[in-house]
Amino acid sequence: MCTRQLVPLATGLVAALGAFAFVLQPVAQSRQGVDAEMLQQPPAESWPTYHGDYTGRRHSPLTEITPANVHQLTLAWAFQTGQAQPIKASPIFANGIVYLTMPDNAWAVDARTGRQVWKYSYPVNTGFHIGHRGAAVYKDFVYLTTPDAHLVALDAKDGKVRWNVVIADAKKGYWSSNAPLLVRNHLLVGVSGDFDNLPGMLKSIDPETGSTQWTFYSTPPPGTPGSPSGGATGGQMWMTGTYDPQLNLVYVGTGNPTPVLNGPVRPGDNPWTCSIVALDADTGTLAWGFQVSPHDTHDWDASEVPVLVDGAFEGTPRKLLLQASRNGYYFVLDRTTGKALLTTPFAAVNWASGIDKDGRPTPNPAKEPARDGRLVAPNESGGTNYRSPSFDPATGLLIVSAHDGYGTYFFKPEHGAYGWAGADHNVWGKGVLRAIEYQTGKIRWEHELGGEGAAGVLTTASGLTVTGDAAVNVLALRTSDGKTLWHSAIGRVGNGPIAYTLDGRQYIVVGGGGALYAFALPVSP
Amino acid sequence: MTASLGLLRKLSLAGALVAASCAHTPAAPGTAPTSPQPPRGSSPAAEARPRTVATQTYSAQQAQAGEPLFAAHCGFCHGRDAMGGETGPDLTRSALVAEDVRGDKIGPVVHNGRPEKGMPPLNLSTGDVAAIVAFLHAQKTKAESNQGSRRSVEEGDLQTGDAEAGRRYFEGPGGCSKCHAPSGDLAGVADRLKGLELLQRMLYPSPRSGAGSPATATVTLKSGEIVKGRLAYRDEFTIAVRDGSGTYRSWPASEVTFTVDNPLDAHAAQLAKYTDEDVHNVLAYLQTLHK
Repeated sequence: MCTRQLVPLATGLVAALGAFAFVLQPVAQSRQGVDAEMLQQPPAESWPTYHGDYTGRRHSPLTEITPANVHQLTLAWAFQTGQAQPIKASPIFANGIVYLTMPDNAWAVDARTGRQVWKYSYPVNTGFHIGHRGAAVYKDFVYLTTPDAHLVALDAKDGKVRWNVVIADAKKGYWSSNAPLLVRNHLLVGVSGDFDNLPGMLKSIDPETGSTQWTFYSTPPPGTPGSPSGGATGGQMWMTGTYDPQLNLVYVGTGNPTPVLNGPVRPGDNPWTCSIVALDADTGTLAWGFQVSPHDTHDWDASEVPVLVDGAFEGTPRKLLLQASRNGYYFVLDRTTGKALLTTPFAAVNWASGIDKDGRPTPNPAKEPARDGRLVAPNESGGTNYRSPSFDPATGLLIVSAHDGYGTYFFKPEHGAYGWAGADHNVWGKGVLRAIEYQTGKIRWEHELGGEGAAGVLTTASGLTVTGDAAVNVLALRTSDGKTLWHSAIGRVGNGPIAYTLDGRQYIVVGGGGALYAFALPVSP
Repeated sequence: MTASLGLLRKLSLAGALVAASCAHTPAAPGTAPTSPQPPRGSSPAAEARPRTVATQTYSAQQAQAGEPLFAAHCGFCHGRDAMGGETGPDLTRSALVAEDVRGDKIGPVVHNGRPEKGMPPLNLSTGDVAAIVAFLHAQKTKAESNQGSRRSVEEGDLQTGDAEAGRRYFEGPGGCSKCHAPSGDLAGVADRLKGLELLQRMLYPSPRSGAGSPATATVTLKSGEIVKGRLAYRDEFTIAVRDGSGTYRSWPASEVTFTVDNPLDAHAAQLAKYTDEDVHNVLAYLQTLHK
């Protein structure tokens, strides 16, 4: 009878916390549709948002599938998208339907059978078609962002367009692959745009009408007096954020500055690029910002999921924010104040000369892109990337698809000051799943993924970790030690698997190549 | 490591390169490399662009129609101008584009992708592919008239090392001479590879497209039979080799015992040990290894 919003930490940990009392809300109705109230505390059997809930922990309270029976998992259904691209989205489950997206496409699929209920295809357009993270669902709306940076609201019943609004100007170089985040009556929509010098932009849209409520700029829009970002543009918020209802703060990771590799033209730290920002959900006002990579010159977005955990830190219960960032460092912040509590690497790094008094890695100038090239870890793929990690409260582990990689980085003035403005080339890298102890940053275990590649991660309250390897397998591991308990060769797994319960049966749904697979325990015929 | 030194030599940097090198294409006039050898390989930004093998004309409308299609489907990785992006190479320097005649080479790559390099197949109509082909040839022509394009790394940029220090590192702390010999596999490497391509392949000589892994495996079956061959596939659950006859054979990893020797592991391990000075010194040393 638990809900995902305030699942307590490990029993022992909770006992240790003593006086730190969580106020547990009444359990939400399981048949309730997706609305603002339901999203505050989604029922255990649901997965109604990109992350599953506001915390970004990607942790399911479901316990039917366990380490003891996971070897029996069998295919319940498969859904073929018929698209050439692999699935990079995380599906959503609500109202008995699984919603899945790819660039220009959204599907509603019967969560019992995998049968298509409807498909929506956006008109041919010239935006970037690199990938898509997922949909958002609210009441009888399904939302899809598009390669030309529009937001389309579809009727959840039949996939018909209800309205279509422009989020950003695609002609300037913006696009969107974003899975929007619904917070009360705000639909937060992010965009991308790395190949042009564009201000970083996050918009709050009225989910009923499509009108803009507020816009947060991570770097100043044209016409802003002074030079608060040191001349940098960029800092796009292309990943889905998280939300603390008590503080009414939305947490979003911002992308790299532009021009990307040309550092000299934008001196200083370049706030708020490569940062975690906390925004007032109603106004978009910045409450605090923390720069995980001051003056980035390596394309290391800090867009990775800011995972919200209520737990002990050095013996004191706190509201924490965890991020395993693309720059190879793991951060623990106090999410009320934005103060850093811990900064430590979780993947191969050689670019920082130390950690400053505020907990930020200090870039080593000798590792900035140079005319003759610099050998830098991580490479452009990062110490991790968009694929979601998962936090398991019982073990206190943040399980991350980590990447140890090296690349060469070049910049000379002839490369100019627009867009990429430099050159970088990956040399080598490999994917490793790492289980990070959240209070210390120590790696409790790691699981080799067998080469270049990684997937998003799901944990369940029964002690399972579900992810994909670098080859073709979806894996179920024991969360406590990373041992493999089950696998299936469904094709390269993309983003994070999800879990839901329907008709009393637990499903694990995961994308492999261009198809979506639902696994469950066998039922009698 | 159980493979013999001879085997490692055979699979080493230069050997793998020569085996997989593309048909050579003459350098464009005015950008001839200093060595008598024509450039080889795929699309290193440090090399002169390979010259288009057959002159083709496309209407301005065709190329214009291809530009937005290219941007939408290919631009994220290859750059909107086809001159290289986040993960994809500069196509104006691609040997395949140079050898393409009206889509005969580009078309199949677009339709089939290059899954081993992370390029997905694209469902595009014949007309759309033709427009992309026109755009790519137009961009290549444009790039050739625009020397010093913005993302290039020129051979001259990389000349900051000390060849003698590089030789000492090669023979000493770098451990390079355990597998490589300047008068053996690396003889003439300075003539075969230049600039950025030499640097990248010195750091990690990734197998060329379609060349497969240079790793070998020795698999002992329950029957006692021992199978040796090129590693064809490996994950936690399955191991596969191509045996001496070229036949693909796979087994559940739990049912056999096996060892895998990958001569590139030493390159990966070295990345954490190099200083940037070491890198440039070894590069300078390799640049002295002419035939």
